[in-house]
Order: sequence, then structure tokens, then C-alpha cells
Amino acid sequence: MSHFALTIIGRDRPGIVSQVTEILYQLGCNIADSSCSLLGGQFAMILIVSQQEFSSKDDFGDAFTPLEESGLSVFVRTLKPGGEQHPALEGEITMISVYGADKPGIVYRVTRALGERQVNITDLNTKLVGSKERPVYVMMLEALLPAGVAEKDLTTAMKGLSEELQVDITVRTITPVEL
Amino acid sequence: MAVREILLYPDPILKTVCTPVAEIDRETDALVQDLLDTMIDSGHSVGVAAPQIGVTRRVVVVDVSKSKLGRDNNHGQLVLINPEILEREGQEMTREGCMSVPDYTGNVTRASSIVVQFLDRQGQERAIHADGFEAVAIQHELDHLDGLLFLDRVSSLKTDVFRRKTR
Repeated sequence: MSHFALTIIGRDRPGIVSQVTEILYQLGCNIADSSCSLLGGQFAMILIVSQQEFSSKDDFGDAFTPLEESGLSVFVRTLKPGGEQHPALEGEITMISVYGADKPGIVYRVTRALGERQVNITDLNTKLVGSKERPVYVMMLEALLPAGVAEKDLTTAMKGLSEELQVDITVRTITPVEL
Repeated sequence: MAVREILLYPDPILKTVCTPVAEIDRETDALVQDLLDTMIDSGHSVGVAAPQIGVTRRVVVVDVSKSKLGRDNNHGQLVLINPEILEREGQEMTREGCMSVPDYTGNVTRASSIVVQFLDRQGQERAIHADGFEAVAIQHELDHLDGLLFLDRVSSLKTDVFRRKTR
């Protein structure tokens, strides 16, 4: 069995998901993790799929041609064995929200500060809101604090960035509870 | 007295509406003991509902006194038979997980304070006011009695269901 990562993106309209998943169903592909969302006017799908008999992406043949013909871009990545498995992630879950007047470098500066501290981002969304004249940039991310990085170290770093970039940044840890 | 196995979704019992306990008899008491034993044995759990151990009766046990989030504000070990929430106030969001739905957690918004009426282990009518994490835990366990899992309560689609961090 091989696993593939599939990315499909194109101008949004009703019916994209069913068009894609009908093809996958007929190919005998199983969808495992997936995330699909409207970004701007584009609908973006990212799926991890498995297929019992396929060994390379050539086995998909021209199955995705109808998607390309309807204006969608399709990209297939063959995963190395084990690449479909969620790694064991350790650390405290931290949610960081950033918002302020739009300006270049918000995502870069915040994520660089995280990367330098080996803080692993597990989820990140950004959105441009507000009016055309006064755009507001919003970023929400979740990350795992490795052992040795305390929430307050991160809060301090983010406070510095907040002043420098003139944006609001909130850091809070989330404790998942098993009930 | 026994530690019972926790049923996992998609066991249909977890989606069953449970029936009230008619009489606090020896059978009910044994069920309560099994729930307590199972909750304590699982170590990390702060509550167990009867359907989670395969019994479709309206009984849950809750004890948040050992957990970080609940240790400063709680009623200790609670046995709730035929519980009913009389009042709800406020709201708070918790990243919930459930022993019956392994590997997933989701953000659930629930009332931050509740008044709950129930019969205790001795069959006495009681009503308590619970808030904070204890209120969240009681609401989560009571949902089990109506066949509801936290997945039925996840509040928004976007990024609400995450894989649980590996323990």
C-alpha cells in the first residue's frame, strides 16, 4: 500500500469536493487526514490518501485530467513509507493570536521567533479582514512548546515583537482534558 | 466491585439515550462502585458515565479534585443518579477529550456554571451549584446519558478538532 499527498486548488464553485472524491473513490483510494478550505476565492484541498495497489504516482494515470480541464490544479506527492504517520509530538499546546494593521513581515517575524526556539507549529491560519482602506491582519496559530521553553519566555519574546511591529499578540497555553 | 472496560466509539451503546434508575438498590450500588473503580483506575479520568462501561442507566461519577484544573474548586467525589441540569449560566471553552473517543480533542463551549439536581449514592435528593472545570466535567458526563459525545458539541469547524498530543 502506498500513501500520497494530494493538493487540489482552483476557483471556488459548488461541486469541487464531490468531483474530486468521486475520482478517488473510483480509483480505490482511501482518504485519511484531509483539510479543505476557502482561501480568498480559491478552494484548496489537501488530502493524504492511500491506495492498496499503487506504487508510484504514475499509477494515477490520467485520472485527474477532468479536474485539470475544469480549471483545478492538481499536485500529487508520493510519500515515503511512514510519511503518512502522525509523529509523536511532545510539548505543551500553545495558542498564539496576532492581529493588527496589515504590514509586511508579520508572519515571518512571529514564526522566526518560534523556529529559533524549536517551537513546532501544528496549525496556522491567517486572514485579511477589515476594509480595503484599513486592512487588518489576523493570524492564529497553535504550536508545541518543547521542554525547556517556558510560556513566559515566549510571552516575553512576543511582547518585544508586539511593540516593534505594532500588532497585538496573545500567548496562552491550552490544557486538553480527558473527561 | 470491578474496573470495567471503557467502551469505544462506534459502540452503539454510546449513542443510546439511557433510562432513569427506578430504585437505588444493590444493583445500582454495584454500578456506582464499578464506575468509581473504573474512574480511579484510569488515573487521568475525572468522570465516567454508565454507558461508557456498557450500562444504559442514568448514572455518572465525577471527581475533579485530583486534576490541575479542578483541584481548587470542587465538591470532591460526586455520584449523580438521574441527574438533571436546572440552570446554566455563562460560557467557557475547553479543549475536551474523551476516553471513549481516543486520539482526538476538540474545543467545546459549555455553561461555566450550573445547578444540577440528582440523587446521591444513598438515594438522597440533592442539588449543587458547580462552576468552572467541575461544571464542564458534569456537563460532559451528562451528555453521555443522552447519547451525545463531545464530537456532537464541537463549536466551530475551522480548527476545532485536533489530534491529541501524545501522552
